[in-house]
Amino acid sequence: MNRYFYYSFLYVLLINIMMFVPNIIIQNRYSGGISSLLLAIPFGTMLALLFSSSISRFPGKAVPEILFDHYPRWLVVPFMWMLAALYFLGSTIVLVAFSVVINRFYNPDTSSNVVLYLLIATCIYCSTRTTLSLVFALEVLIIINAPLVMFVLGKGIFTSDLDWDAMHTVANYFRMPPNLVSFAAATYIFSGYLNMSILNRALPPNFRLKHRWIIPLVGTLAMFTSIFIPIGFHGTEAVDEYLFIWSITADSMKMEYGFIERVLFLYLILYLNLTLLFTTFGWHKAMEFLKSTSKSHKPHLDPEKIPKINWIICGAFGLIAIIYSGVVNEKQNFSIATVWLIIRLFAEILSVIWICWLAYRLKSKSKFKVKGQSESK
Amino acid sequence: MRHLIFTVLFVFIASLVLGGCGFKDIDKRFFVVATGIDHSDNPNKPFRVTLRLAVTSPKIEPGAGKSQLETIDAKTIAEGVRELKAYVDKELDFGHCKIFMIGEKLARKEMDQAINWMTRRRDIQMIANVTIGHPTAEAILKIQPKNERYPGNTLFLSFGKEGTDSSYTVTEYIFGMRKRRTEKGIDPVLPIIMPENETYRISQAGVLNKKKLIIILSPEETQLYNQITNKYLKSSLGGNVEQDPYVLAVGRIQSRFKIKNNAQGKPVVEMRIKIHGLLEEAPKLVFDKDWASIEQELAKQYSKSVVRLLKKFQRQGVDPIGFGLKYRATHYSGGDKSWQEWQGIYPNIEFDVQTRVTIEGTGLIK
Repeated sequence: MNRYFYYSFLYVLLINIMMFVPNIIIQNRYSGGISSLLLAIPFGTMLALLFSSSISRFPGKAVPEILFDHYPRWLVVPFMWMLAALYFLGSTIVLVAFSVVINRFYNPDTSSNVVLYLLIATCIYCSTRTTLSLVFALEVLIIINAPLVMFVLGKGIFTSDLDWDAMHTVANYFRMPPNLVSFAAATYIFSGYLNMSILNRALPPNFRLKHRWIIPLVGTLAMFTSIFIPIGFHGTEAVDEYLFIWSITADSMKMEYGFIERVLFLYLILYLNLTLLFTTFGWHKAMEFLKSTSKSHKPHLDPEKIPKINWIICGAFGLIAIIYSGVVNEKQNFSIATVWLIIRLFAEILSVIWICWLAYRLKSKSKFKVKGQSESK
Repeated sequence: MRHLIFTVLFVFIASLVLGGCGFKDIDKRFFVVATGIDHSDNPNKPFRVTLRLAVTSPKIEPGAGKSQLETIDAKTIAEGVRELKAYVDKELDFGHCKIFMIGEKLARKEMDQAINWMTRRRDIQMIANVTIGHPTAEAILKIQPKNERYPGNTLFLSFGKEGTDSSYTVTEYIFGMRKRRTEKGIDPVLPIIMPENETYRISQAGVLNKKKLIIILSPEETQLYNQITNKYLKSSLGGNVEQDPYVLAVGRIQSRFKIKNNAQGKPVVEMRIKIHGLLEEAPKLVFDKDWASIEQELAKQYSKSVVRLLKKFQRQGVDPIGFGLKYRATHYSGGDKSWQEWQGIYPNIEFDVQTRVTIEGTGLIK
């Protein structure tokens, strides 16, 4: 069951490119971006480990159930709303950003709205599915996309076009003090563990996270490749000029002996899959959080019939996403993503501390109970 | 039953999207295979845009590649391309354009606008080659080589390693050009295409500073530049030892450099080059001679010519090898200071080039 945790960790880590994480850190490359990266590694790992070990003390329960069990509704309901809004907005940012990328690189003649509507329709359908079937879909998609990720990464690393001096130059700036924007962006790479807050329902009661070293290792690797490969390709200055930095970097790679020469198209297919996956999960989580605020709601992992409320909520999500794409342009989407990353960081810290505190209390209580029982004997 | 009706309806609705993409079929497109941008001497319309359009044909055989040329003078490149659309019956598509050629005159003046246009346009590949056309890009594009299989492929097969693998040809892509144009500490180098009896000669390179073309290297200098910036380059190394001509077919060449302070405290570029190769031309019975002395003599001459080339770059204030970037990478001193230091150091820096030539054999004869 461990692999499901790592799958959900992986897809969030890969989507960082669509969330403008490289753009933000590259913008701050001379002013604290690099030190923020270094700081984010222990911090992100710590949050991930704390959260996953605390939530495994509540077998089969998702965050809403845990909180509703222990706290009054007036306290938990707004928190659920906030999390739902956060997840929904995050996925929508990525979806809108990707529809623009498709419009720019795949088919400039198509309106990006048509692409967006098709993506939204797919996401509405997928996110209304049950949690369990989504978990299985996650596994399938990760396995399909892993070779593509490996290929693009390998192509990026093992090419003579990579300028190590440029990377070295930027890496020198790790001496600058970190800043909040880059730090929030960098910690995002580790935030896949938060999927546990809903997926925990699907995990078995005796779940224990194994191979924890994967989190810092893979996170660090992903972080450095997603920031330093573009710098290696485009140098220390030009790298800041590009809007779709990774699409351009993928376009700078060449497969001389492939069916198609441009790596860009492989990359776009890969990120189409990942974006759909990410948005599906984001909306599904948001939907589950919203549903949990209803009094009569009973969480069900794999209901036989999809409840109507799923369609209503996700349909509404789709509508809001359409309105969002109409109101917000490319530039605003980027600044919203920046703000979103910062708010997300604090929401993440809050939920981790909260769940940790509950787990700690549960542990000390049960210890007390055991002690009390043994004494009464 | 109701389920089925809904499914069928859904499929119909979904298929509506298919037709409405504004997508143009492949037979309604003109594929641009090479783009030339020249200076036109007309102050109102300074850019002359030349497009080489592929005439698609089902025949694939040498000489079957036909193309059509369109030229226009315009105020800006983008306007020129848009205006050219009125000259042709199909949609222009830059997705397969692998060659962007800048006329020498424009390159000597100012090429900012051309490079910006290339990178900003979304359908242009970042892996297209950027080149300089001598005397003009238009003159080069007018040439229709006789042995071309596909329209325009003679030009781009010359670059990279798929077609010919010439040690005299420099290859630069759009992303690399953009990188070098903005990077502090490395300057662009572009191949120069010259006309030669109905075909092309690409044996020289032009070194640019951040704005314009500064020097044109001779074929020998171009090969030297290629040798010290590439790793596995099939090339040659010539020299005379005791009046006898020697030519080494280089199989592997490796160079690395450091920027150091020498014993007097003066900054020095320390370059170490290792060359392995077979003798291709040598006097009789060279097999019995002392190879070490030949190697040393060849190495000495090679080092000297490298220093001459580097000094030439230094005199013109250009840095195509990337010494400045190396200095920035290895001498961090906060903010932008190391770059400013380097600008003071570079004009007076000394070069210490040492080569080690290894002769692996004398070919098939003694």
